[in-house]
Amino acid sequence: MINTQYILPILILFIVFCALCKRINAYTSFIEGVKEGLGLFYNLFPALLAMMCAISLLRESGLLAMFSNWIVNRISFIPSAVVPMILFRPISGSASLAVLIDIFKACGVDSIEGIMASVIQGSTDTTFYVITLYFSTVGIKKIKNSLAIGLLADLAGISMAILLTLIFFG
Amino acid sequence: MSILWLCMIAFSILYGLGIGKVDVLNNVFLNIGKETFDFVLPLVCMTCFWNGLLNVAKDAGLLKKLELFFHPFLKYLFPDIKDDKETMGYIATNITVNMFGLGGAATPMGLKAMEGMQKHNKKKDTASRSMVTFLILNTAGVTLFSTTLIALRASFHSQDVTGFMPLALIATAVASFVGLVIDRWWNHRD
Repeated sequence: MINTQYILPILILFIVFCALCKRINAYTSFIEGVKEGLGLFYNLFPALLAMMCAISLLRESGLLAMFSNWIVNRISFIPSAVVPMILFRPISGSASLAVLIDIFKACGVDSIEGIMASVIQGSTDTTFYVITLYFSTVGIKKIKNSLAIGLLADLAGISMAILLTLIFFG
Repeated sequence: MSILWLCMIAFSILYGLGIGKVDVLNNVFLNIGKETFDFVLPLVCMTCFWNGLLNVAKDAGLLKKLELFFHPFLKYLFPDIKDDKETMGYIATNITVNMFGLGGAATPMGLKAMEGMQKHNKKKDTASRSMVTFLILNTAGVTLFSTTLIALRASFHSQDVTGFMPLALIATAVASFVGLVIDRWWNHRD
């Protein structure tokens, strides 16, 4: 098992080492890169504010919880604790992490619910967030069908996660 | 996107009012600005750091090497930008770093890749074919090790900390594959 703690220091050491070998003006290129990064705030903040406002309303108003209860009553083969996880995963990274911790506390980390939620968490990234973030930095307004495709991919990944857990741990 | 956004807000407010959560709604309206700021600020600061480091890596010729390694695979996914070595280098770096579960470090590289793709984009306000493909790869999250998850499971004293990983790997591969297939089928005219 690779200890992931060492990846970043080694990566940075490697970059510095290569820069040393090539004798480039690394200090200036670092500063230039940071300057470019500063412009990000201007593009990023408006788009994320819009998205986070809608998502916190969805979560805080209880609409998302209501929706997840509705699903629990219809689909019986999925453990009910895991359903909020499925809904939150594409929408909010911090919310799905909070649900995951709740599941670990309530059902145990090695229970079928705990394992299924872990697989779901690892199976896909936060689609809404990634799309807002990436498109807003370059000023794209028409995102075509990327949100729909992203959500379909999430659906495939999450269904696979549930199916595999039921087969191997069920 | 605009309609989806308006509906999310409208239905949430209506539902919140319906079950008598006025104070919760007000709380969101008053705090969301600062909450978003607190969220964006660390992200921007970290991106600055990685942008600096990436610039050093680029000037040292490292991105070109990584690009060369991934080129045979990436040229099929991004045919319209395959001659732009720099942008392809950023895409390759983003995918590699994502695989190691370092999502935070992968984001700045992804943003550089988006800027690179925007240079080739003919309609500046509309997503290009490559951008959609790249986004699908990122939202499906091709992750080999999820560091946060492993740490979290360990902190709950799991008997089998990494047991979920093979399953998560298959699920994430399926998500990416399905995403790419739908993308190709839906956007094949571009």
